[in-house]
Amino acid sequence: MTSASLQGGGPEPTARAAVVSVAAPARSRLMFRSQTSRRLAFGYLLLAPAALYVLLLVGAPFLFSLYLAVSDANVGDPVAKFIGVENFRAALEMEVFWTALQNSVIFLVVAAIFKSILGTSLAFLLLQEFPGKKLIRGLVVIPFTLPIAISVLAWKWMYDSQFSVINWVLSRVGLIGQYGTDSWPIWLGDPKLALLACIAVNVWRTFPFSAIVLLAGFTSVPLEVLDAAKVDGCSFFQRFRHVVAPMIFPILMIGFLFDTVFTLSDLSVVYLLTQGGPANASKILPVLAYQIGIQAGNLGRGAAIALFLVPLLAPLMFLFLRNLRRREY
Amino acid sequence: MTDPQPVKPSPSTLNRRKFLAAAGAGVAGGSLLTMLDAKQAPAQIKGTTLRILQWSHFIPAYDTWFDSKLTKEWGDQHGVKIRVDHIPHLELPARMAAEYAAGAGHDIIMNGSSILTRLYYKSLADLSDIYEAAGKKHGGWIPTAKALVEAEGRQYGIPLFYILLPMTYRKDLFDANGLKAPDTWELARVAARTLKPKGHPTGIQFSQCADANLNWRSILFSFGGAELDPSGENVLIDSKETREALRFAKALFDEGMTAEVFSWDDASDNRYLASGIACWVHDAISAYRTTEDTNPDVFKNTFIGMEPAGPNGKRVNTCAANVWMVWKFSKNQQAAKEFLTHMVDTFSEGMTASRGYNMPYLNGLAKKPMPVIGSDPKLQILQDFPPIVAFYGYPGPFITPIQEVVNLFVLPDMFTRVARGQSIEDVMKWGMGEYRRIFAKHKRA
Repeated sequence: MTSASLQGGGPEPTARAAVVSVAAPARSRLMFRSQTSRRLAFGYLLLAPAALYVLLLVGAPFLFSLYLAVSDANVGDPVAKFIGVENFRAALEMEVFWTALQNSVIFLVVAAIFKSILGTSLAFLLLQEFPGKKLIRGLVVIPFTLPIAISVLAWKWMYDSQFSVINWVLSRVGLIGQYGTDSWPIWLGDPKLALLACIAVNVWRTFPFSAIVLLAGFTSVPLEVLDAAKVDGCSFFQRFRHVVAPMIFPILMIGFLFDTVFTLSDLSVVYLLTQGGPANASKILPVLAYQIGIQAGNLGRGAAIALFLVPLLAPLMFLFLRNLRRREY
Repeated sequence: MTDPQPVKPSPSTLNRRKFLAAAGAGVAGGSLLTMLDAKQAPAQIKGTTLRILQWSHFIPAYDTWFDSKLTKEWGDQHGVKIRVDHIPHLELPARMAAEYAAGAGHDIIMNGSSILTRLYYKSLADLSDIYEAAGKKHGGWIPTAKALVEAEGRQYGIPLFYILLPMTYRKDLFDANGLKAPDTWELARVAARTLKPKGHPTGIQFSQCADANLNWRSILFSFGGAELDPSGENVLIDSKETREALRFAKALFDEGMTAEVFSWDDASDNRYLASGIACWVHDAISAYRTTEDTNPDVFKNTFIGMEPAGPNGKRVNTCAANVWMVWKFSKNQQAAKEFLTHMVDTFSEGMTASRGYNMPYLNGLAKKPMPVIGSDPKLQILQDFPPIVAFYGYPGPFITPIQEVVNLFVLPDMFTRVARGQSIEDVMKWGMGEYRRIFAKHKRA
């Protein structure tokens, strides 16, 4: 517009041009102020609660636990002094720490495998048309929505060494021997079974969450794409691997990320079932951190143990998020 | 002989500030004692609210009595509104940490089994005055009581009752098999060995629960073992007696128990006895009461014995301690102190409400016949337990490192490892390593 005005020649157009050349940026600045900046400000305003939430409820406690981990803080003393990496060193010296770390990794990996298998199967089942589908969809999330203390106490009874309903059923159908014999499983007392029993409860509680996340993904895949794959002769597994999985990958990653965090930080199941026993066979890092930090009152050392989850989780999270971002481009 | 010391100026020179502090403390202490003696509330506690946090008692009737009678009557009489919150005893440490961090919460807080006085004493109200007064009034405290609540020479809690874990056995099974009552651990082992093949094994928790911490210590101490020296400075676990106790536990497990004990919690032995299977259990009398309430036929033949003696005749019963404390941040400390004094004074009523479960720390309240247990022929033996009562750390005090040892279940894990087949020397090495590491850590801190 400005250049077009200049092409007219003579003093009048020049004067006009001068007017225009001054007025145009001013108007654009005005527009920016009035539209773009308002939109930007509105965007930041919308983001603010989330950012504030992250800063206050995630960032602040994380920084506080970092502070505790390098101090000699205990639950009853208001004064704590800086002791460097002493708490981390003390944790690494503990045999039980290494047992707990190993158990935490086993817990995470085994639970993830079972949750993937069961969650995917359940999601496919829920995709099918059958009478009472809506009711069933509602019912399957019950384990996830029940208060954890109640559901775990129910499992404690089911695992009871004497009254276990699982054992009595297995015994009646002849798969195990009578009560009191060697083939009667002691779910929470056998070092090999105790951790598995805890993992089973964690899987039972949270695989409906995996299923719901997957179900949301599956329903977002356009039917015509699936139909085209069918027409091209793809089998069920080929369709899942080459069509569905790539399309819902971002959802899968987000679900996996949440699940990893939930599983690694799950204190309640192990604490309520075994407290980490027998002889630390089912001890995981959150339980150890709780026992040392809160029950024994050694906040600094408890925080240091809990922070060992960060190097476990951070690389995983980084890889997930980087993969996700690459796929977006 | 030592050289005479130079005369130093007296440090107790009285200045204005010291005079005011001393006079204030004297007036406050005197007022409280006068008020307690007169059993009349001062005007300033009227219209206030007292908040109490304590466990859910294993005998629910006690909570009913506490909530609807004791607190209500005292509250009405003194014009104080009392709110009592009950939570499971295992959650008390976490709740205490949360209230400490917030600097707000209940006025009175209870510790059950895990006694945290030494961790929190800087944030707790000094209760030395009412502790001393209660001792004077009721014939003195049992010797092990003070260590539970004392820090730097002051008392920061009131031990109200402890819980015994006596030997509870099936007399019919013992008689039918010509077995002597389990008056020694050896007799208990022989009984378990005899009765297990007949479908009546015994059981003690080889797991990470409170009873495991208590029961294995009873055996260890009765075998002559010790956890700390009386100063609390030295760990005494590495001993011949500990090895003997571990050897005994291994034999007891192999001969008289099933693998179930590795999964047991605090209530499993109650159920084992009540179901009619166990030949004996070493547990609080809640096991006896559960059997009474659920299986009258078994209950008829269920008896309670004296704490079994170790090889040298020593008997020690490691008990679950319970202590009440008052937060320093409480704005109602005066009412809290007066209520705690009232709780001590009404102990016998509380013992009745607990069906004989609560045992007194005060000698005057432990005189025969004690409520409930004094009139029940099967329970009368419990009145002989006070002289053999011990707590964690015995014969030393229940100090902070022992708190961590207890919470990490180091001692029950030693017994569990031996029962699972590890050699005693390996287990001793592991156990001593854990004790040393924990004590060294606390010393460094």
